Amino acid sequence: MSTFVKGMRFRRRRTRAGATRGHGLFVSSALTPLMLYMMFWTLLPMIWAMLLAFFEYSPKHAGGALLGLGGDNPFVGLGHFRNMLGDSLEAQKFRISLKTTLMFAFLVLPLNLAITVPLAVAIEAVVARLKTVFRFIYFLPTLTSSVGVALIWGYLYHPQRGLFNMILKAVGLPSQIWLSNPRAIYLGVPLVLWAVIFTYLWQDMGYNLVIFIAALQGIPREFKEAAVVDGANVWQIFWRITVPLLQPTLVFVCVMTMLSSFQVFDVIQIMTENGRPQDQARVLVLDIYLNAFRYQRMGWAGAESLILFLIVIVVTIVQMRILRTRWEY
Amino acid sequence: MANIAPARQAPATRRALDWGVVRGRLGQVLLYAFLVAGCVATLLPFMWMVMGSFKSSSEIIRIPPTFFPESPTLENYRTVLNDPHVPLGRFYINSTIVAVSVVVLELFTASLAGFIFAKYEFFGKNAMFAFVLATMMIPFQVLMIPSYLILAKLKLIDSLWGLIVPVAVDAFGIFMMKQFIEGLPSELMDAGRIDGASEWGIYWRIIVPQLGAPMATLGILTFMYRWNNYLWPLVVITSPDRRTLPIMLTWYSGMQYQSYDLTMAASVLVVVPVLIVYATFQRWIVQGFALSGLK
Repeated sequence: MSTFVKGMRFRRRRTRAGATRGHGLFVSSALTPLMLYMMFWTLLPMIWAMLLAFFEYSPKHAGGALLGLGGDNPFVGLGHFRNMLGDSLEAQKFRISLKTTLMFAFLVLPLNLAITVPLAVAIEAVVARLKTVFRFIYFLPTLTSSVGVALIWGYLYHPQRGLFNMILKAVGLPSQIWLSNPRAIYLGVPLVLWAVIFTYLWQDMGYNLVIFIAALQGIPREFKEAAVVDGANVWQIFWRITVPLLQPTLVFVCVMTMLSSFQVFDVIQIMTENGRPQDQARVLVLDIYLNAFRYQRMGWAGAESLILFLIVIVVTIVQMRILRTRWEY
Repeated sequence: MANIAPARQAPATRRALDWGVVRGRLGQVLLYAFLVAGCVATLLPFMWMVMGSFKSSSEIIRIPPTFFPESPTLENYRTVLNDPHVPLGRFYINSTIVAVSVVVLELFTASLAGFIFAKYEFFGKNAMFAFVLATMMIPFQVLMIPSYLILAKLKLIDSLWGLIVPVAVDAFGIFMMKQFIEGLPSELMDAGRIDGASEWGIYWRIIVPQLGAPMATLGILTFMYRWNNYLWPLVVITSPDRRTLPIMLTWYSGMQYQSYDLTMAASVLVVVPVLIVYATFQRWIVQGFALSGLK
């Protein structure tokens, strides 16, 4: 077989990109196992997740022959999805978690941009050596284990021993019970949610900052110089030149930030002890996790995860539409 | 006339310039004040962690709290490192095994698949690559439950294998390697073929040695991601001695009484190694994140 492939060498053609044809044996022997392996850990679970959503499945039950579905794990059709609109306790918890997740994501996005865009512009404006120092410091939290982050911030928020109340007292403001006062609601958002949003922002802004810095470096210097010659001030340069030229990056960053905040789990699970108080910090992934692995209701949790998937797909498609229509200028 | 006009204009220009300088200086001061304030806000939680880790158990529960430890002590570190219930060394080993195994496997599979996608034409290439890209879109939480059930069928629950096996081939790694290898000249491969190298030989002796930079980036990103990963080990691991470091950390926070002195000392011991890796490889890490934009 290998001599045959060697003989084929003379008839090999080259495509435009410089890729070679032939060598079918090498390609198939190397790539096939990798692709099958990948399918086994992505395509199979994806199909299984879709099936689970239509069954009342619990790993405790024996179930039918195929993937344990059927039998004691009966087919319920669209039952889970119909249940989501109903009055049952798990449906209420699901709706609360969905609402909390949306609230979380739509608060994180503007706050994140309001911090990272000006910060990136500011970092771009300083001398090269300091630029590295600032970038290094601002990126530190992003690489910190989110469990570590949650524990540190839990301690910062401690009502009696925490730094934040110490600071509030020092400037003469009343101290707060940050993580466990269900009646503290500011601007319609529970205090505990604000608290985890601050923590999340602190940890998460490094990503966007680095992306924005890279994008700003790609803006030709001449544009700004021309604007300065025309008498534009810093504010005008920012809004009229930097922001429009950042637009593709902005769309991309918005979507990535959105998608990752829909999937928030670590910080909230640890800081709020599974979404307390009164489920004010219960987010969707937390609800999925608890249903699947604490209550063993994997069918229901699977249906919930499909809703999450649906949201992710919608956001991604919207992004693709925006990028396709508005990219040329 | 010609001589007078510039002379009259000169002072005005200079004054305007001076104003520009003053405003520029003020702008610079404000700029640095803004950046330094941001740095303080960024570093404050780390400071609070480090300060807490050096406080004695009586000082840490004092009200009102102190910022700097009054009599810094290493007692917390000694306790955490010698706690028989929490064998920290064991968790370091577990985390290292998982992170290093995933890095090695992923670098191999990603570079091989990336090489093939970049340099060969074959039937179904576009469809396969589209599949690779599509898997990047699926949130991990959607695959989490079935992946757990697959691991259960394979009897890999509560084993470190369960943290390694499902992520040995990674779509993002393949994508990144393909992008890089496409930029390598194909003449290198031809030279190898003339010298009689097999396609595997070309991969191993010609392509892999060129991949230093992307392998470093992908390797470090993967290592950090696996080292810090929480949700998947939380689902898969049940035995205390098979935990990884992040799961061990929550053990401290889950205790009946919150002993922040020990929690902070343990946090320092988990967080600091990653920060050292970061400080060492800063260039690759930041570039990698900027390039990928991946969360």
